[in-house]
Amino acid sequence: MTSRAKVLMLILLMVLAGSALYLHVLARRITFQPSVQHGEEVARTRLNEAALQSSTGPQQLATLYFPSYEQGLLREEKRQIAWAETDTDRIRQVLLALMEGSHQGYSRALPPSTAIRGVFLAPDGTVYLDLSTQTLADLRPGILSECLVVYSVVNSLAANIPAVKKVKILVEGQEVDTLDGHADLSDVFVPDPARILPAS
Amino acid sequence: MNSLTRLLRRLAGPSRALPVTFLLVMGVLFWPTRALRSDNFVIYMPAARAIIPLETIDQVKYLPVISVLNGLGKVDALQEKRDTLKIWFGEAVIELRLDDKQVQVNKTRLTLAQPVRRPTGQWLVPVSFLTAALPHITHETVEYQVGTNRIFIGDVKPTSFTVRLDQLATGARVTVQFTDKVTIHTAASNGKWYLYLGPRPIEPLEQTFRFQDPYVSEMQFDDQDGLPKLILTPTVSGLNFYPTLAEGGKVLLADVLKPSPVAPPQPAAAGEPVTAGAPPVPGAEAVSALPAGPPLPAVVLDAAHGGSDSGARGRDGVLEKDVVAQLVARVRLALLAAGKYRVVLTRVGDVNLAFEQRESAANLHYPRAFLSFHAGDLGTTTPRVVVSSYQASRPPGPGDNPEPTPFLIPWTRVYRTHLNQSRQLAQALQQKLAEIPGMAVDQPGGAPARALRSVDAPAVAIEIGSLTPDADSGVLTDADFQQQIASAIAAGLQAWQGGAPGP
Repeated sequence: MTSRAKVLMLILLMVLAGSALYLHVLARRITFQPSVQHGEEVARTRLNEAALQSSTGPQQLATLYFPSYEQGLLREEKRQIAWAETDTDRIRQVLLALMEGSHQGYSRALPPSTAIRGVFLAPDGTVYLDLSTQTLADLRPGILSECLVVYSVVNSLAANIPAVKKVKILVEGQEVDTLDGHADLSDVFVPDPARILPAS
Repeated sequence: MNSLTRLLRRLAGPSRALPVTFLLVMGVLFWPTRALRSDNFVIYMPAARAIIPLETIDQVKYLPVISVLNGLGKVDALQEKRDTLKIWFGEAVIELRLDDKQVQVNKTRLTLAQPVRRPTGQWLVPVSFLTAALPHITHETVEYQVGTNRIFIGDVKPTSFTVRLDQLATGARVTVQFTDKVTIHTAASNGKWYLYLGPRPIEPLEQTFRFQDPYVSEMQFDDQDGLPKLILTPTVSGLNFYPTLAEGGKVLLADVLKPSPVAPPQPAAAGEPVTAGAPPVPGAEAVSALPAGPPLPAVVLDAAHGGSDSGARGRDGVLEKDVVAQLVARVRLALLAAGKYRVVLTRVGDVNLAFEQRESAANLHYPRAFLSFHAGDLGTTTPRVVVSSYQASRPPGPGDNPEPTPFLIPWTRVYRTHLNQSRQLAQALQQKLAEIPGMAVDQPGGAPARALRSVDAPAVAIEIGSLTPDADSGVLTDADFQQQIASAIAAGLQAWQGGAPGP
């Protein structure tokens, strides 16, 4: 091997070693940016929070329904809410109150991680409620559980907002077969008073 | 090397040979070594049996250790660290270490044939764990024939059998000589005949018998679902099948004959004759072979979830899909023992089926009843069971006919034709389940359960619980508990049939 070849070989080795070191440093700087979709969900959640902040009306008594697994029914809970002006914002307020959980120790209907992608109230009284898949992942599994969750939402909305007659649940903007493998979401849900435990 | 380079250049062009090589190398490095789950492993015990899903990794069979122990009894506690798992099971303390062949049971150190694995968060042990560790854990004898997917623990004496094939004038006769008495129940599916051999465990000398015969090509033993059975494959379609028990149930004579206008020959001195009610048509779905008389009504058992859909998960790692599969196997045995039903399963093995597949599997059989089994979060009360029939998410509107005409019923509304019977069935099952000591049973109700919507039969969902990390769900995998549920369901079906006419 000539001296010139040896020098070239040495330079090549140094370049390779430098590249390896640089790659190593780069690899340690790799971070995963939140996806655009996730960013949209955060934005929508903030909109929900904005619905609460826009509530300037007087405090009024709201009726919420939370699951009671022992009875397999919903328990009524009264709570003061300063209602927003529009029905759509009021729908968001009810959903946020359900996400907040019961003040009387009943089970939670919607997990705190619930991300409401969108709410739309049609003129015929149908609420289109668009949930994220993350919401489904955090639901308590089972037929009874999903049934309680759905009717907690439907009955609470209908009890507080007279314009709400029925609820259609979507996931990620799409019609889906089931909530999380059990509750049939192919049709709209109408309020079912039989799901509520009678007051003793 | 030159030829490889030429090949690469031919494939991708000279300028892209390097990237292609890089991709090939990466492909080899990251090629998945883990095979998909294929079948089950059955643990036979004196009063119970457990069906454990089997994983194959690098051609080695592995079992989920928690499922194995829950099949044997109840795991008391778990302590999982990064690379170790400590299990308290009865008086035994078992310590596993990831990628280590050494296992410690109390103070005894044991060596397995292959190391412990945890490919997807689930701790897996090789089958050799059963023979090496279980005697120390259960203090029972363990019998295992290497290569098989079954093991016998304790005082279990499995039956065995030999097989012979004889030519007849118009067909062939398969003679199966058992070492002990068996009972048979026949069915047909996918062009094969199934001979269920009763509840006793069976250890075959060979798994598959192949014949060079114009009528019968193969007979295979299978007990992957915990039900020992022989599966006969005819060489051609259009043959008739006449199974008969003789010598008090120790000999099975299975005649495969060409169709004939005259009555089939009845074997002389047949101890317990069981003949085919209708010749099964290979290729047709599950044409049952039954005792003489009208065909038995079908009951469809639907084990929810499966495959990648595990369903609910308990505190000790118990999965809903496994609990309901075990429960369905016991209910099936209980119904077959009653001798009044033919049982159809929507899910056989650990597979994830769509609702449409389950419904079509059920509706093909015009079943008398459809039972969908679930295990879910029912709060803190356990054991508890909730029996539900389908209830629509909205009542029928003015434009909806509450009693649909028999023609052109949408599949999404077919449940309506069976609403009353479904409610009666739920009521009957609830009454029998309430008789189980210690069981909390809710009043039967309605739920918009998707699994029941498009089933053309009286249909109910049976949800046991509570399978949740917040409750002790150990009882749900208890063999006695599951057996009590199975017996109650068989009794409930019987009570309901007595009070309600069939479709």
